[in-house]
Amino acid sequence: MKIDKNVEDDGVIFMSIKDGNSDAVKDSGDVLILAIESSCDETAAAVVKNGREVLSNIISSQIALHTIYGGVVPEIASRKHVEKMNGCIRAALSEAHLTLKDIDAVAVTYGPGLVGALLVGVSEAKAISFATGKPLIGVHHIEGHISANFIENKDLEPPFVCLVVSGGHSHLVVVKDYGEYEIIGQTRDDAAGEAFDKVARAIGLGYPGGPKIDKAAREGNPDAFTFPQAQIPDAEYDFSFSGLKSSVLNYINQAKMQGQELDQADVAASFQKAVVEVLVSHAIKACKEYGYNKLAIAGGVASNSGLRELMEKECKANKIQFYRPSPVLCTDNAAMIGAAAYYEYKKGVRFGLDMNAVPNLPLGDRERKFHGRGN
Amino acid sequence: MKILGIDTSGLVGAVAIADGDMLVSQFSVQYKTTHSEILMPMLEDICKKIHLDLSSIDAIAVAKGPGSFTGLRIGSATAKGLALALDKPIIPIPTVDAIAYNLYGVEKIICPMMDAKRKQVYTGLYTFVPNTPEGKSLERTFDMQVIHEQFATSIEDIATRINELGKPVVLLGDGVPAYHDEIEELLKVPFSIAPMHQNRQSGAALCALAMQYAKEGRMVSSDEFAPEYLRLSQAEREAREKGTGETTDREKRKLESRKTPGIVRIRQMTAEDITDAALLEKENLGKEAWTQNQLATALTRDDTIYLVAEKAGRIVGMCGVQNISGDGEVTNVSVAGDCRGEGIGYKMMKQLLERGRGIGIKDYTLEVRAGNEHAIKLYERLGFVSEGLRPGFYDEPKEDAAIYWKCRQEE
Repeated sequence: MKIDKNVEDDGVIFMSIKDGNSDAVKDSGDVLILAIESSCDETAAAVVKNGREVLSNIISSQIALHTIYGGVVPEIASRKHVEKMNGCIRAALSEAHLTLKDIDAVAVTYGPGLVGALLVGVSEAKAISFATGKPLIGVHHIEGHISANFIENKDLEPPFVCLVVSGGHSHLVVVKDYGEYEIIGQTRDDAAGEAFDKVARAIGLGYPGGPKIDKAAREGNPDAFTFPQAQIPDAEYDFSFSGLKSSVLNYINQAKMQGQELDQADVAASFQKAVVEVLVSHAIKACKEYGYNKLAIAGGVASNSGLRELMEKECKANKIQFYRPSPVLCTDNAAMIGAAAYYEYKKGVRFGLDMNAVPNLPLGDRERKFHGRGN
Repeated sequence: MKILGIDTSGLVGAVAIADGDMLVSQFSVQYKTTHSEILMPMLEDICKKIHLDLSSIDAIAVAKGPGSFTGLRIGSATAKGLALALDKPIIPIPTVDAIAYNLYGVEKIICPMMDAKRKQVYTGLYTFVPNTPEGKSLERTFDMQVIHEQFATSIEDIATRINELGKPVVLLGDGVPAYHDEIEELLKVPFSIAPMHQNRQSGAALCALAMQYAKEGRMVSSDEFAPEYLRLSQAEREAREKGTGETTDREKRKLESRKTPGIVRIRQMTAEDITDAALLEKENLGKEAWTQNQLATALTRDDTIYLVAEKAGRIVGMCGVQNISGDGEVTNVSVAGDCRGEGIGYKMMKQLLERGRGIGIKDYTLEVRAGNEHAIKLYERLGFVSEGLRPGFYDEPKEDAAIYWKCRQEE
């Protein structure tokens, strides 16, 4: 994958991710989906062929605008989405050498996420769907992340186990079939990505925490400290990261008070090891007990190199086939939404023009009320 | 000319189709349902009922704001999506103007008030001025005259402005029932309230005004259109309130330094410098440059100092240090390519090292590409001493890092 980047005047980073292997020619029977994503601070559009081939993948990232506020400001994000969306959609079409006429369906993330941000994508997608007469498909953001695995792993088919880890989610999911999910474990408190951000801030690495800790950890000793790995007694697949986070923060405070020098790299490495070991052991255990020999990872934290390495090693040892998206497909993007939408499209799922944004849309729970239109 | 009009700026959700001077259809709902769920179905219904081929539309008019932030975005994103798919222009209509246009021909003062919460209204002042078309004796046409264009203000302020005009006024909009008591108390001129068929956002009034705009060519492409909120987001407002003094000072300095082009000013980096500083880093360091994010994060910390060098209003240098338990790690040093050899790096660093003492830094350290003679000369002039190499530290091209320290006792 090749990434073209351009910083615009307002600080927004415009990216075009190119997959050299995709083929823009449409044969009969091919399904082309225009996908739109605006659930947080990335405005994104993509064209995906048959759920697996990315013809274009455009991301307009506002992250630089939010950093000075210490996190994403929903109102600013929503305003930027309105400004950037048309440009992203146009770029997605032109990079794929297509027009809206060639598209078979319009897909959009309708939850979960920031409601004001989601509404921009949802409103645009509905308008384009209606004006072109093309079917409309609503996609669950996390199902999109899971489906990012289909893009580069052409052989991956359900059923499989998927570990979804990002700034807002830590889920262990059995993907029973396309679009059929069973959540077998989730976090009781902080999401894994949240813990990374907080610890990174505390040891002075700054934002975004995931990549910073990942990098620092490579130079540290993962066995320098033993931080606790919480097990939930009555729910063996659930996660808890707040205890681990507190214990790291306590250690840092203590060291500071006693005037000890803090080894950033050692703390990062030990903390990362604790998180990664819990994630990997739960995922491997789930594969064994549920009897699946395929395991995928998804979400922003899935690009963590420590997680990738240990998961790969453990999968090998347990004869489980391991799947993971390229790091660039682990972040929020629209290509993954197009991948998820394809399988919904094939099943005949169509959304009505009354589709609304659902900020707390549960994973796997199909929101039926917007399925009014029969086109 | 066929126009599709959309207004979702307030509680009213309205869609209308106008063709020439005929209102072909309008669908309006003033109810608590969300615009997102009803706007497109209303349009779908209209299209079915009047057998409308959407591609026959010439332009899409939309209430561009002010109004409910979310409401404006639903209307705007919908208009933009339709305009993109149909390849048609957008006619952005000021919301308050469109509400005033309900009262076409009224020669009194017209004052729409939209409830903007926190005892504020989105409002404006208008009146209609009669004209006699050429060759006619009794027929009149009216031009809407904008006395005060739409803005956000307090009830007290708009009441004062109305009182100053000293003429009877017609009030309309959802701000009227919301602030009725205040209005009654503050107004010193005769006032009336428009009846319900004329007193809210209306797709018909929007389309009628849009026809005028279309004649005057006031249209934009779907990509460049964005709503006008008339208010910053809360986060921006708070940030601005905190930094008001800072901003004006900075603007003053910027103006001054433009007047005196040769002078380089060293000052603390602010959030507004981040974009320029990141670009400077990028020019000098390519892939190893700090991003805007990293700079922004570093700026918010209280154990860092970041300085910029400003010349003729342009950021030509930046440097920063982080205090790690008494050791000051110099994280960034960049000077614009065309400004090297002017001593900017030295001046900037000298200040940085001095200011660092103020936040408890005792010793300073930094890493530099072992082959960067220019930079090394600068650091040695500042009293840094080489303490060893970190092999293969830098990528593209692979190069060793020279580690430099400047310790207090050596000064």
